[in-house]
Amino acid sequence: MRYTILLVALFSAACSRAPKAANEVVAVASAKVPAQPDDATWEGAPEYTAKLVPQDLVEPRLMNPSTPEVRVRSVTNGSEIAFRLEWDDESKNDMPGPSRMVDACAVQIPEKTEKDLPEPQMGQEGKRVQVTYWRSDWQATVDGRGDTIRDIYPNATVDHYPFQSKALEKGSDAEKEMAQRYAPARALGNIRSGPRSQPVEQLVANGPGSLSPGEPLSAKGKGAFGKKGWAVVISRKLPEGLSANQRTHIAFAVWQGQQQESGARKMRSGWVSLLRKGE
Amino acid sequence: MARVFNWQLGREMSYWYPESRPQRQFAAVFDTNKCIACQTCTLACKTTWTSGKGQEYMLWNNVETKPYGSYPLAYDIKLLEMLNGQQWSGAKYEGQTLFESAPAGERVLGWRPEQRDYAYPNVGEDDCAGQVDHGEFLSLPHMNWFFYLPRICNHCTYPACLASCPRGSIYKRQEDGIVLVDQGRCRGYQECVRGCPYKKVFFNPMTGTSEKCIACFPKMEQGITPQCFENCIGKIRLSGYLSPPGKARPDNPIDYLVHIRKIALPLFPQFGLEPNVYYIPPIHAPVSFNQQLFGPGAGEAMKAYRNAMNDPDLASLLCLFGSTEKVINRYHRQGELAVAADEKGVELVRVPMREPVHIRPAVDQKNQLVRINCP
Repeated sequence: MRYTILLVALFSAACSRAPKAANEVVAVASAKVPAQPDDATWEGAPEYTAKLVPQDLVEPRLMNPSTPEVRVRSVTNGSEIAFRLEWDDESKNDMPGPSRMVDACAVQIPEKTEKDLPEPQMGQEGKRVQVTYWRSDWQATVDGRGDTIRDIYPNATVDHYPFQSKALEKGSDAEKEMAQRYAPARALGNIRSGPRSQPVEQLVANGPGSLSPGEPLSAKGKGAFGKKGWAVVISRKLPEGLSANQRTHIAFAVWQGQQQESGARKMRSGWVSLLRKGE
Repeated sequence: MARVFNWQLGREMSYWYPESRPQRQFAAVFDTNKCIACQTCTLACKTTWTSGKGQEYMLWNNVETKPYGSYPLAYDIKLLEMLNGQQWSGAKYEGQTLFESAPAGERVLGWRPEQRDYAYPNVGEDDCAGQVDHGEFLSLPHMNWFFYLPRICNHCTYPACLASCPRGSIYKRQEDGIVLVDQGRCRGYQECVRGCPYKKVFFNPMTGTSEKCIACFPKMEQGITPQCFENCIGKIRLSGYLSPPGKARPDNPIDYLVHIRKIALPLFPQFGLEPNVYYIPPIHAPVSFNQQLFGPGAGEAMKAYRNAMNDPDLASLLCLFGSTEKVINRYHRQGELAVAADEKGVELVRVPMREPVHIRPAVDQKNQLVRINCP
C-alpha cells in the first residue's frame, strides 16, 4: 500500500512538472512579459521543441552537428513578445578571444506577417527577416564584467594605453576621443563592439551574409547558465500585423562556443509556426 | 569558384571571386640580407596602430628568426603540413593552392591559432647552432645559419581573408590594392583569422572585430611610406606599386626587382594568394629552404644578389632602399648615382653607390695637433 501511494505521488509530481508540449510555438497572453528565464510565468506557456540542423546552405558550413534541439516557450502582453530558449550545453563559453567562441542564440521572424514566407536561412531579397541575437559574453558584460583586458585575461599586464596619458584629463572628451582612435569598430559605431546595456542585438537580413543593424524594436535579453545548459529570454516588439489568434513564423539558431561555432557555423531550425494566442 | 590567373604560379587557379586587379597594387620589397631584427619596425607599427584595448597581443608587423621562429606559433609549418607536400614543375606550380584544397563546406584550407600560439612572438629568436671548438652541443636539422624574416600583411591579389569572410566585411581597394577589414561591418566571426595563411588578421576581444595591417594607407595616399618602412634603421624595405607582369616598367623599382630581375620573391607563393610583399632571399641559407619559402626562383635570385656588386643597375637600386620617406615611383642610374623620383617625376633623392671615404692623417700638420679618435 505504501509503495502504491509513493508511486502515485511520484507519477503526479512528474505530471505536474512535465511541460505542456505543443506542435507550434504558442505565445500565451499575459499581463507581464517575463524578463528572467526562471520567472514562474513561463510555466503557463506550452513548450515547443525545435529540431536543429547544421547550417549547410552557404560556406563556411557547419559540418559536425552539435545542439540537436532547442526548447521554446513564448509569452506576449499584446505589445511585446518574449521567448525563452533552452538548450543543453555542457560548458559555459562567455569569454571572447582568439579562437575563443562564445555561446549564442537567435530568433528570426519575417519582417511582414504574410503567407508567402522568406527563405528560412536569413531571408531573401525583397523579403527581409528580423533577427534578435543574444550572446553570452554580452550577457556577462551586462551582468557586471568590466570592459578591460584584465576582465578577460586576469593575468594580463599592460604598461600603458595612449588614452591613459597623464596629459589627458580623466573622463575628458579628449581622452574619450583618444580611446576611440584605438578602437576603430567603436569609433565607427559598430553595434557589436560594446560596451553594452543589453545582451542582444536587433538585426535585419535579406539573405546569407547580409545581416545589418535593424530598428531597435525594444529588444531585450537575459541568459542564465544552469546545470543542463543555457536558458535565455529574448524579447522584442510584437511582429507588425500579428493580431490575437493569428500566426506568423519563427526560426531559431544556436551557437556553441565550445564547438567553435560562430557566424555561419551554427545549428538552425526551419520555419516554425508561431501562434499569438488570444486573451 | 571563379578561374583567375596567378602569375606567381604560372597558371590559372580557382578563387572565390572573379579576377579583379586594382588600378595599381601596393607592394614592397624586403631585403632579408640586411635585416638585423632590431624590431624597430614592429614598435613603429605597434605604437602607431595597436596600442588600444584588445590589441595588446597584436603585431601587425613582426620579425621572426627562420628557421625556428614563427608568429603565431608554427603558422607556416602547420599549413605546409596540411598542404601535404606539393610540387612545382619549373616555374609552374603543379600542386594545389589553399583555395583548391579547401575541404567540403569550407572556402579555404585554413586553421585558427589558439590563444597560446600568440604568446611567444620571439620563439626561436637567433636560434642557430654554430661551430664551436669542441663540437655542437646539440644537433638540429638546420645547422649554422639563420635569418630574419620581417612580415606584414601581404595585401594579396587573391586574399584568403577576403574570400573567407561570409559577409563581405573585407575589401581590396581599387585605387591601391590595399586589403582592409571594414570595422563598421565586421562581426568578429574570425573566419579571416582562420583563412589567412600568414595569420596577419587578428581578433580584438574588446571590440569583437578582427583587425589587420592597413599598409598605413593615410600615409601612402600622400606618397609617404608606411611606418615600418620609414622607421627601418637597416634600410631593408622599399615600398611602391607593382604592375601586372605584362606591364612591368623598368624604371619602377618594384617592377624591376620583382618582374624584370626576379630577385625579389613572394612568401609561400604555393598558397595561391599572390602576396605582394616580395623578399630578396637570404644568400647564406640553403637554396632548398629558400625555395620552400619563396618558390622555385630562389636559387637564381640568390645568384643575382651575390653578383650585385658587378651589376651597377641592380646595385644602384639596392642603394635606394630606405633612402627617403617618400614612395619611389621611378628610378634611374646616373653613373655612380642612384636617382629616385615620385610619380610626377619630381626628384626625391640621389644616393651614391659608394660612400665617399675620407682618411684623416693622425697628425694635423696645419695646426700641429695630434688628432684623437674619441666619440
